Amino acid sequence: MNSPLPSSPLASRAARPIETRDWQWYAPRAAVGLFVVALIGLLWVLHRQEVEENRAAVIRDILWVEQSMRFSLDRDVEQLRQLGEEGLAGRDAAHLEVAVKHLLPNSPGLLEVVLLDERGVPTASAPVPMRPNGGAWPGLDSESDYRLATVTGKAVYSAPTRSMEEEQFAVFVPYYRRGVLAGTVAGVYGLNAMLANLVPWWLAEKHRVTIRDSAGNLLAAKSNVEARGAPELTHQVVLDPPGHGLLLHVESYGSESRLLRYSLTATIVVLACILLWSLRQVRRHVQRRLVTEQELRAEHAFRKSMEDSLDTGMRAVDMKGAIVYVNPAFCRMVGYTESELIGHGPPQEYWPPEEREHIEEVLRAARADGSSGKEIELKLMRRDGERFDALVYDSPLIDADGRQTGWMGSLLDITERKRARERVRQQEQKLAATARLVTMGEMASAIAHELNQPLSAIASYVTGCLNVLQAGGASPAELRSALEKTAQQAQRAGRIIRRVHEFVRKSEPVRTGVHINAVVQEAVSFAEAEARTRRVKIQSQLSPDDPELKADPLLLQEVLLNLLRNGMDAMAATPAEERELKVITERAGQTVTVTVRDRGCGLSPEVQAQLFDPFFTTKPEGMGMGLHICRSIMEVHRGRVWAEQNPGGGTAFSFCLPMIS
Amino acid sequence: MRAAIAHIVDDDAAIRDSLEWLLKSRGVAVRSWESGEAFLGALSAAPRGCVILDVRMEGMSGIEVFDQLLARGFRLPVIFLTGHGEVQMAVAALKRGAFDFVEKPFNDNQLVDRVIEALRRDEVVQHELEAEASVAARLARLSPREREVMDRILAGEANKAIADALDIAVRTVEAHRAHVFEKMEVHSAVELARLVGRRH
Repeated sequence: MNSPLPSSPLASRAARPIETRDWQWYAPRAAVGLFVVALIGLLWVLHRQEVEENRAAVIRDILWVEQSMRFSLDRDVEQLRQLGEEGLAGRDAAHLEVAVKHLLPNSPGLLEVVLLDERGVPTASAPVPMRPNGGAWPGLDSESDYRLATVTGKAVYSAPTRSMEEEQFAVFVPYYRRGVLAGTVAGVYGLNAMLANLVPWWLAEKHRVTIRDSAGNLLAAKSNVEARGAPELTHQVVLDPPGHGLLLHVESYGSESRLLRYSLTATIVVLACILLWSLRQVRRHVQRRLVTEQELRAEHAFRKSMEDSLDTGMRAVDMKGAIVYVNPAFCRMVGYTESELIGHGPPQEYWPPEEREHIEEVLRAARADGSSGKEIELKLMRRDGERFDALVYDSPLIDADGRQTGWMGSLLDITERKRARERVRQQEQKLAATARLVTMGEMASAIAHELNQPLSAIASYVTGCLNVLQAGGASPAELRSALEKTAQQAQRAGRIIRRVHEFVRKSEPVRTGVHINAVVQEAVSFAEAEARTRRVKIQSQLSPDDPELKADPLLLQEVLLNLLRNGMDAMAATPAEERELKVITERAGQTVTVTVRDRGCGLSPEVQAQLFDPFFTTKPEGMGMGLHICRSIMEVHRGRVWAEQNPGGGTAFSFCLPMIS
Repeated sequence: MRAAIAHIVDDDAAIRDSLEWLLKSRGVAVRSWESGEAFLGALSAAPRGCVILDVRMEGMSGIEVFDQLLARGFRLPVIFLTGHGEVQMAVAALKRGAFDFVEKPFNDNQLVDRVIEALRRDEVVQHELEAEASVAARLARLSPREREVMDRILAGEANKAIADALDIAVRTVEAHRAHVFEKMEVHSAVELARLVGRRH
């Protein structure tokens, strides 16, 4: 449902504010920190592992290089010895050249083979043929090594020496013939050439392999990597042969994988920072939201309390007329709970059945008009069936998009106000009636006094005359004067009566269109106070079609009040619980009849005969004018009034009047 | 004795005239006044007779006229003529010493009877007043010593006791006694007591 207002369940829940606990904020931060630390640790461990693995690989590789060097050298020694033993020495140089040519490609690093005779004189060399002025001694300062070789009979390596552009070393392999030193074969090796041949390319791709002397001086190197800064890891093994403190050294440099690693780490850190920053942003956002929420809640609470404290009922309906919202005042007013009302479509429970069509029509008309704040007076019903008057202001309910979602109405219970107004009106009428009575009383008193004067005078004159006549000896002139005066006074009385007639004629009834039921209700409400004190119940049974008459409402009320009072007087001796006056309005054709039934003492036939005569009364303090006046009023209205026995005991007074044609 | 007059005070000429006719027909002397003011203004120092007062009048009301009469110390009997709704007022006046009230319209000869009674009452009252006045005049004639002796006589003392008390001779007392009887116009102590005792 597209609810235009916060529904109440939400509102009731809104009371508890959401608390922001610190740990809720520190936990994610700590988690992110720990995550980063763990990640970095993992990277470090991986790095360590890699380094270890690298190291192992490097060591393995370098060992492998060293081994292959040794194997190569050992094999060469054998082949050189074989060369010597095969008796190549002393044979022609060409033969040596061929042999060496076969040997060189398989002997990495071997640059030159020199044959020495048993005295140690070079006799031939290959591949460079010996110059005629005697061959160069293979290697510098290596006679000691040669001698050691000849003495021990084993191959001896010389220390590397720099010759031309590269470090070289020689190996002296003595050979024997029949146990006698027959000569020595010397192989000259270049360290660079050796490295170049023995270090595989894939090793050189990653490492810088060098041969150094014991002092650490670089003797030869092979590498395809650029030496940038400090090596990542180094390892060295002793190179023996050829010995002499030579070391095979490997330096490993970080490859692009290291860069990747660094960038990866950097990325992680940056991401972590971004994460923390965004967390902080989220926190700030949430805090702002919380503040706003708090304000909203306070606002909502304020509005709610305002709504709850309101005496004006509020209800909102959707476009179909189903209730979407009510406030407590409204619930109190109609006596239904909020849950009973919400979602209920028209006709509503609080519409009195007899008013439903009227209400629907009025609401439809007001809403079709579209203007807001229109005042409608409706008769509504409480749960217990009690009707009450409400003033409704209905206005369109517009949502945030500017669309109309329904109607919002405020309701004011004006029953009390209406009653008060009615009471004031009744008071005023009572006052007016009293004033009228007072005026009538005064007028009657004034008339009585006025009439008393001539009447007293007449009586006095006449009595005087009688006295004079009785005494005898009265002169006719005297008597005549007195009698003339008497006649004058009689005329005076007549004038007074005429004046009264004229006065009465001036106050002709003011006839207007009146509804008989309204007149009866008003008269009954007048009489009710008196009825209560006399413990008389008044019941009205009104004609449903509420006929309209042309009459003076005040005079009709006068008649009704007279009849009601008579009824109450008649029931003075009736037991209190039976004292009931029934007022009935009926319509028969074009005639309206109003009947007042009492349960009183009833009428005797002789009383009934004189009932409407002036000054006839059965009451000790009565004037005997009430019913006479009633008859006069009825005659003025072309109606009539009569009395009959009430079938259930007591008397029924009725009057009938013609309706407006 | 002066003739007793019934004063009629009413603002209505017809009433005045008719009442005059009526009262005269029974031989009552009548004098009419058209207002309370006129009546009060014409009153002598010692008016006689009775007053017939209309309660409702132009100018001074009957009650106001009655008040004035009381204020001036006149004890004339007053008969009120009342209209409808004025009975209570009349009853109140009755309690303050009015003679009677008659409600309009009245039974005329009954009214005349009441007027005659009122006149008679006035006569009696007048007579008493005159008697009182003569006793006072007689008492004024006594000398102080004679007054002293009279008081003792009225107290029932014998001549001898009076002489002892006043320290005079019995013969002197007898002389005073004779003077007192002469001046008070009585013949015995009993007669004296009846005359004077009313005042004491």
